[in-house]
Amino acid sequence: VADGYEILSLDDIEPVPYHQRGGQKLLGIERRLGFRAAGINGWVGDAGEPLVPKHAEDDEEELYVVVRGRATFTVDGEEVDAPAGTLVHLRAGEWREAVAAEDGTLIVAVGGTPGRPHEPSGWTDFAAADAYRRAGRLEDGRAAIARMLETLTDAWYAPYNAACFEALAGDSDRAFAHLAEARRRDADSVRKWAQEDPDLDPLRDDPRWQEVVA
Amino acid sequence: MNRSHVDELDKIEMPDGFVWRPVRRRFDIRAFGVNAYSAREAGSQIVEEHTESQLGHEEIYLVLRGRARFTIDGTDHELGPAQLVFVRDPSLRRGAVALDADTLVLAVGGKPGEPHEVSAWEWMFAAVPHARAERWDEAIRIHEEALADRPDHPALLYNLACMEARGGRHVDALLHLRRAIELDPKYGEYARGDSDFAAIRNEPGFPV
Repeated sequence: VADGYEILSLDDIEPVPYHQRGGQKLLGIERRLGFRAAGINGWVGDAGEPLVPKHAEDDEEELYVVVRGRATFTVDGEEVDAPAGTLVHLRAGEWREAVAAEDGTLIVAVGGTPGRPHEPSGWTDFAAADAYRRAGRLEDGRAAIARMLETLTDAWYAPYNAACFEALAGDSDRAFAHLAEARRRDADSVRKWAQEDPDLDPLRDDPRWQEVVA
Repeated sequence: MNRSHVDELDKIEMPDGFVWRPVRRRFDIRAFGVNAYSAREAGSQIVEEHTESQLGHEEIYLVLRGRARFTIDGTDHELGPAQLVFVRDPSLRRGAVALDADTLVLAVGGKPGEPHEVSAWEWMFAAVPHARAERWDEAIRIHEEALADRPDHPALLYNLACMEARGGRHVDALLHLRRAIELDPKYGEYARGDSDFAAIRNEPGFPV
């Protein structure tokens, strides 16, 4: 790191298993660099492992770049062989996923919404926090949660996800504190999501739960 | 879905040796800037020396293949595959030389906090091979397409005037040169010594 610029090898970023979607190994490039102009993250995997979770974007266009190895993309049911050097461009609404076809495959995804400035969504922080919690690294997880909360100062789902993290970590006091903040931001959404969210099951017998769903 | 391999991208060789491989333009990406670069040969420029002061972009340069020596703010860094340099500060001078003949660098950039605007230089670069081959109609068409997206962009108007002057469209050239100078008087200084305007320099109404 020098003033105003930074050199980085993608191999030096710790891959984080994206447990919420199937264990894909995520490289949080955007967060690691503090890049603000677009979303940019990486995915790594060995032959047969899932790389990109199946999803469609609401508004964003995405460019996937196969940096190393080989991937098989499936886009709206169509399979695409993508050796190193392949660029795959996808518009909002197209269903996409990718699987590694060779060991050591590395792809980079760049995304953004035309006509809108890029805003970090914090999802990679939550993915990292969840992975650290599962690995017993609670303080690393809390640090990732703190970064998410610093980034998303208005979105109700940021403290809500922080509450999920703490509920699963067994700290109900912290979980309810985050839920109170989430309710302050949007009580209706919290009530709707909390009803059936299994992440919050450890909190349901607590007397404070009634305030959450009230 | 649209796909391409980097080796299938257009190769537009620029005067100082680097080869622009248009990615954003290939896919009509509107949300961010993204392009690839290769070099004429090992030892040639692969990323032109420049700053982003005017556009305010932060940039990531990611080496996809081969090796390159980046010079950032006067300091050299040799980068190989899957290594990147993130230039956060737009005012820093940056550039790179390819160390292998098949080196390929991907650049991603944009201005934080603002919707992405396609940079005018992309059209200017796209017109270079046509201008070099004196295909003035095509070079003019690319600039007109650019001005439909970025009206009143003085550099585009100035370049358009250059192409029109060379292509024999003297009335249009005078009109667009005058407009470029109205928007930014420095183009008057440029026009004074620009050989592209040789054919119209003595026309009545030449604005310098």
